[in-house]
Formats: sequence, C-alpha cells, structure tokens
Amino acid sequence: MNLPVIGKVPSDVVVAWMVMLILGALTIIFLSKKKKWSLLWEYMRTTHHRKIGTMYIMAAILFFFRGGMDALLIRTQLAVPQNDFWVYQGDKYNELFTFHGTVMIFFVAMPLLIGLMNVAIPLQIGANDLAFPYLNAVSFWLFFAGAMIFNMSFFFNAAPNAGWTAYAPLSTDAYTAQVNNNYYIFGLQVSGMGTILTAINMIVTIFRLRAPGMKMTRMPLFPWSTLVTSVLILVAFPVLTIALTLLMFDRYYGTHFFMSEMGDPVYWQHLFWIFGHPEVYILIIPAFGIFSDIISHFSRQKVYGYKSMVGAIVLIAMLGFMVWAHHMFTVGLGAFANTFFAITTMMIAVPTGIKVFNWLFTMRHGAIRMTTPMLFSLGFIPTFVMGGVTGVMLAVAAADYQYHDTYFVVAHFHYTMVGGTVLGAFAGIYYWFPKMTGKKLDDSLGKWHFWLFATGFHLTFLPQHFAGLNGMPRRVYTYLPEDGVAIYNGVSTAGAFLMGISMLFLLYNLYKTAKSKEKAAADAWLGDGRTLEWTVASPAPEHPFEQVPYVKSVDPFWFHKRRIQNMPMGANPRPSPVSVKTIQPLLFVLTISMMSIAFIYHWIWVEIIFGLLVLMFFLLRTLTDERESVYRKEGEA
Amino acid sequence: MVKHIRKMSFFFLLLVAGCDIRVLDPASETGRRIEDLIGLSFWMMMLVLVIVFILFIHFIKKYRVKDDSYVPPEEKENKWLEISWTVLPIILLIILAIPTVIATYNLTYKSEAEEDSLKKEGLHVEVTAGQFSFTFTYPNGKESTNQLLLPVDREVTFTLTSKDVIHSFWVPELSGKIDAIPGKQTHLKFTPNQVGGYQGKCAEFCGSHHAMMRFTTRVVEQDTFTEWMDK
Repeated sequence: MNLPVIGKVPSDVVVAWMVMLILGALTIIFLSKKKKWSLLWEYMRTTHHRKIGTMYIMAAILFFFRGGMDALLIRTQLAVPQNDFWVYQGDKYNELFTFHGTVMIFFVAMPLLIGLMNVAIPLQIGANDLAFPYLNAVSFWLFFAGAMIFNMSFFFNAAPNAGWTAYAPLSTDAYTAQVNNNYYIFGLQVSGMGTILTAINMIVTIFRLRAPGMKMTRMPLFPWSTLVTSVLILVAFPVLTIALTLLMFDRYYGTHFFMSEMGDPVYWQHLFWIFGHPEVYILIIPAFGIFSDIISHFSRQKVYGYKSMVGAIVLIAMLGFMVWAHHMFTVGLGAFANTFFAITTMMIAVPTGIKVFNWLFTMRHGAIRMTTPMLFSLGFIPTFVMGGVTGVMLAVAAADYQYHDTYFVVAHFHYTMVGGTVLGAFAGIYYWFPKMTGKKLDDSLGKWHFWLFATGFHLTFLPQHFAGLNGMPRRVYTYLPEDGVAIYNGVSTAGAFLMGISMLFLLYNLYKTAKSKEKAAADAWLGDGRTLEWTVASPAPEHPFEQVPYVKSVDPFWFHKRRIQNMPMGANPRPSPVSVKTIQPLLFVLTISMMSIAFIYHWIWVEIIFGLLVLMFFLLRTLTDERESVYRKEGEA
Repeated sequence: MVKHIRKMSFFFLLLVAGCDIRVLDPASETGRRIEDLIGLSFWMMMLVLVIVFILFIHFIKKYRVKDDSYVPPEEKENKWLEISWTVLPIILLIILAIPTVIATYNLTYKSEAEEDSLKKEGLHVEVTAGQFSFTFTYPNGKESTNQLLLPVDREVTFTLTSKDVIHSFWVPELSGKIDAIPGKQTHLKFTPNQVGGYQGKCAEFCGSHHAMMRFTTRVVEQDTFTEWMDK
C-alpha cells in the first residue's frame, strides 16, 4: 500500500496500525469509564512480588496472542501447496517465523515462568517478598520494555528477519543491512538484562529468606527448580549478551567477528547455542517443578523419590551445558565432536526418564483428582515423553544429518516446549490463580481449554514429523504438490486453528472469573494443599508471613492437617524485604529504551543524552536506600 | 484418555500407510545406513513410549477417586524400582550409542588426507552455494547450475563452500545434509545405487527466497553420464 509522506507500506502493517489505534482508544475509554487509572498508576509503581508476577503473566498472555497470531498466519500460508496468502511470501514470511520464535521464547515462555516464580516462590518458602523488591520492579520493566522494543519493529515495517537464531553472516550488515535485525539485538539485550537480574533476585531469596526449619532438603520442588534455573540463567544469559554485543559491533562499527579471514560464521553458532541449549532447560526445568507440586497435590501423595527428583534437575542442568553442538551436527565439526555431543545428549534422557517415572509413581497408590491443573499436568506426561523420545532420535548424530533443519525438528521442539513449558505454565496459572486474584478459574471452561488445546496440539505437530522425513526443510514459505507434504501441512493448519480456538476459552474464563463474586479459600484446592502458600489467604496479602511457621519436613502443611506433625507459628526471625511505591524503575527503563531506540536508528546525539540519563539513574539509586529508615525504626522499637 | 490414544494411533497409521517417505526410501548405501539407524532408534523409543503409556493409563484408571474423604496411606520409595528405571535406560542408550558412534565415524569425513585419496578414485564435484542457487563444477571444468547429474554405482565426493551466507546441501534419498559455509570447505560422499530423479534442497535458512533454493539430482547410467560430461 502506498501512503503519502511515508511511502510504500505492506498492507498487513497498515491493518495492524488501524487495529492498534482502535484498541488503544477503547482501552482509554474503558479505563476512564471504570475509573481504573489509579489502579494502573498503582501497578506502575509497585514492587510487590504478587503484583509484579501478575503483570508478568498478563504481559506474557498478551504476547502469546501476538506470537499465536504469527503462528496462524504461518499455518495459513502453508495450508496448501504454492499458496499466495496475503503478503506472506519471501521476506514477509521470514519476518513472521522470526517474530513467532523470538516472541514465544523470550516474551512468552520466559515471563510466564518468571511470573509464576514471582507469585509462588516467596509464598512457598515462607518469605514476605523477594529479597530485592526494587530490583524486581526493574527486572519486570526491563523485560516489558525489551518486548515492546521488539514489537515496535513490526509497526515500523522493520521486523527482524534472520530467524530467532539470527545466524551470521545472514544477520550481519553485509546481508541484512536495514535496521530490522538491530531491533532483534536491542530487544533481547534489554529484556535479557531483566532476566539476569531476576535470577540474582531468586537465588538470594531462596538462600536467605526461607522459613525457619526449612532446610534445602525440605523445600518444595518448584523452588528447587527455580534455584537451578536461576543458576542456569546466570551462566547462560551473559553468553547471549556477549554474542549480541559482538554482532552489534559487526553491524555497527565494521568489525568482522563473524566474517572474513579472521572471523568465522561458526563462532556465532557456538556462542548462540552455548546460551541456547541451557535456555531450553531454563524453560523446561521450572515446568518440571510446577508439575511435581501439582501431581503430588492432586494425588494426595508426597512426591515419589524427592531426592532423586532434585538430583535429576541438577544433573539435567549440568549436562545442559555439554550438549550445545548437537544443534551443529551438519556444520562439519568432524566425527569426534559429533559423537561426543551425541553421547552427552543421550545421557540427558536418563535423569529425564527418572523424573517421568517418579511422576508416574507419585500417582500410584494415590487418590487422583481430575482438576484443571491436574489435567494439564497429566496431558504433559505423554506429550513430553513423545518429545523426549524424538530428542533421543535426534541425538543419533548420523541420523540427524537427515533430520537436521527439517520439520522433524520443528515437531520435536514444539512437543517439548509446548508440551512441557506451555502446559506447565497453564497448569501453574490455573493452580496459583487463587493466590494471585483470590478467585478460582472456572473448572469446566478450563477442561474445555485443555482438551481443545491438547487435541489441536497433536493434530498440528504430529504430522510435521512426517513432513520433515519426506524432505520438507523448516523456514520455507511454500512447497510444491510433488513434494508430497500437502496432507501433513493441511492437517497441521487445521490443528493450529483448533489451538487458537482453545485459547478463546481461556480468555472467556478470565473474563467470567473477573465478573464472578465467588471468593477462593486460603487452602483453595480441595483443602489438600501441602506447602506453605496454602496457609496464607487468597489473594496473598502484602505481608503474608508476619507469623511464620516452623517447618519440620517436606509438605509441612499437609502433615499438619493430617495431625501427623504440628507446625508451630512464631514471629518472623528475619527482616522482611522493604517494599516501596516508586516510579523510578519505570522511568529508568524508559530512558534505557530511548537509548536503545536511538542505537537502533543510529541517532548518535540521542544515544549520548539518554546514555547519560541512564548513568544518572545508577547514581540516584546508589545514593538512596529505602531500607535505611525502616531498619532504623525497627532498631529503635 | 484411552480413546484419545486410540484415536491418535489410528491417525498415525493413516499418515504412514501408503506414503513413500523420502528419507525412509533411500537410493544409496549411505541413505540406507541412516535409515537403519532411524529404524533402530525409532523402535527402541517406541518401546519406552509404550511402557510409559501403559503405566500412565493404568495408574490413572486405577487410582482415580471420586470420594472426597479418602486419604491414601503414605507411600514409601522402593529402592529396586528406582535403580531399575535408572539402569535400564542406561543399558538401552548404550545399545543405541554403539551403532551411533560407528555410523557417525563412517559417514563423516575424518581428514583432508582421506579426501585426497578419494578424489583420485571416484568422481569429485565441487559445490558452490550462493543466494539462491547451487553451482556444480565437475573435474573436466564443466559447470552446471541447479542440475546435478551423477553416474549410478560410482562413489562421488563433494567439496562444498558458499559465496555468501550459510546454506546446506541436501538430497534426502541419497544422503544426509552438510552445510556450505563461506570461507570454509566441507565434505560429503555417497554412492547412488538407483537410477532416477531426486529432489535437492537448501536446508539452512539463507534469506528471502530460501524456499526456492532447490536443485534436481539425476542418477543415470555411466554411458549417459559420460556423454553429458563431454557435451
């Protein structure tokens, strides 16, 4: 479409602008009519873990619809051979799958899990808040700003187009000179910074703020998986930061890290996957923790093999750093490297298998109750095992020469990421919704959501294995009738729309629950809660553990209720983190975003001005400490 | 749940029945070795899958309760069970790892020296990938774009490179893929055993028209090949 002043703009961008303007106007009208501006203002200044967690999850669901829309557009373009759907051929299609991948990994899966950690971790270990509430607000706004910067790119017709893996040299200025991939670099840098800060926050919280008596070996499994995940983040994310910085230098300042005689395009792949493989464990391990807690809860059994569960998580995390080159079997690293990484990859199947059998045997001799969170957790087991076994098949290096970069791989990682992470996040949202809002989501709508989602999921991704084996490479915008993959793609597209429809049930459920007046109890799920979060009111109050329980075993609340063991309450022996109401984190992140946008478009003076402003915020924060006055007051009293 | 799984397995059969799947219908020794590996790993993994599915369905059916008041007695871990689901997978993986190592060493180039010796014996083709086509150069200097002609039953070696971004050379019926990387050389060899035409594709995302970066491979009798080379 040709617009005056602006020039040629693809029609999908025009439609997106119009939809956004209408939605924006409607939101403003809604906020004014319902007098919700003060609520919004409160959330903009909050440092409370539950509110920040809720914002993480709300933002993630918003981006889930954004990434899901990309998925549906991809599937529509691929529905039939030689399709010409709208504008999505060539570069526009490349933008679609780059957007879909990046958004789903960084702006959906990560914040969904981090949001659930924010809500549940302090409550599960008996802490009043995360260790650094101010830092937590900074983390959230950094994530949100990174996602917004990334999303801006589409509206300015400059969506990144080198795939979510941004392989060099395609991602360098020699082959993609426009600003598109600058958005990728800065979107991920800004949100990545937030993720690293969250990891530090979680580690300190879990080490320092556990309830008295709660040894590490008495922690529920979700805090355990959060701890291990945070360590993974702390090691893996800086590698991404470095890779992106090097790419930025190649694109901006004429260096040649990833090209020419001195540089090497394969360096990018090493760096990216040294980050990227731990990243997939960062996404799956918290989901493992969620499933462990839920399956134990709704089987009325303590989790089977607690110690081996913890050991398996730690082992998976360590092995996760030794397998990155299985993404690079076809690069020509040689037979030795390929067999080494093949075997380390196969080894991961052992701890994962241990976990699966432990989940199964948690249910044995239990009393299984089919609530929505349990349904999502049960759906996870067969789905994830299917993704796991194709993972072992992919680890067979010589066979991977065939699977690599085909739809077989696409099917595999969707089975693990959707079957694991997304089902885990949904299970967690249904499970801890009472702790976030004080209400329970509707159970029958939840079940509709699950069954449609699961059916749609298998319809979408099972056929893709066969499409891959029949020679369909990934990231292609079309295929020919004689390729013999039309039937698989047709079924796949139908399944994708079914998954899309299932998400409407979640939306309607959220709306209906918001309208309803029914309050959830503290021990919201059948009165079967096992861990400390179910001892506090729903929604969790600002200071849930003024009176903190003394913990004598795993699942202390359950054994207390069964009168096997008492759970004495006492004053909290540790100083609580001090929450404040402050707009500083948001303003700080706004200046960082402005600096990033200036970098994206090479506006040097704006870079300098906002760079200085960012430094000013560091100074300001160095010189203020909200804890001083509070602790002084406590000391006097 | 049972119904769900039955539905799925039916669906599975429907998809596989009567389809010639290229990777599983190879026309070279290399392709067949990979197919064997795929078959071995697939059936071993199916065994795991079946065990998990049976336990899963059995436990859900047996231990699902409607009675709100029933509290099951505390379950103690069984050491032997835990050992068995640790040790058995390890054994299973060793069984899979051995052929994996052997095949990976056999199907991957080991050294430059090996390449030199092979060049002398068999046919050698240089592949130059570029956005969005493949150029094949034969020993006598003959060049061909997006058309690869090979004689049947003769070993052929490839040296690949790229003149711009990373591409990947793939003929599913004949061999696994190998990347073509700018500033580097990679190698591949296989022996086609069946006369026929096969699709070739670029498998590494390489820019705007990655989907269009295809070539055709024709495996012909030696006479036809010689004739074509001399033309």
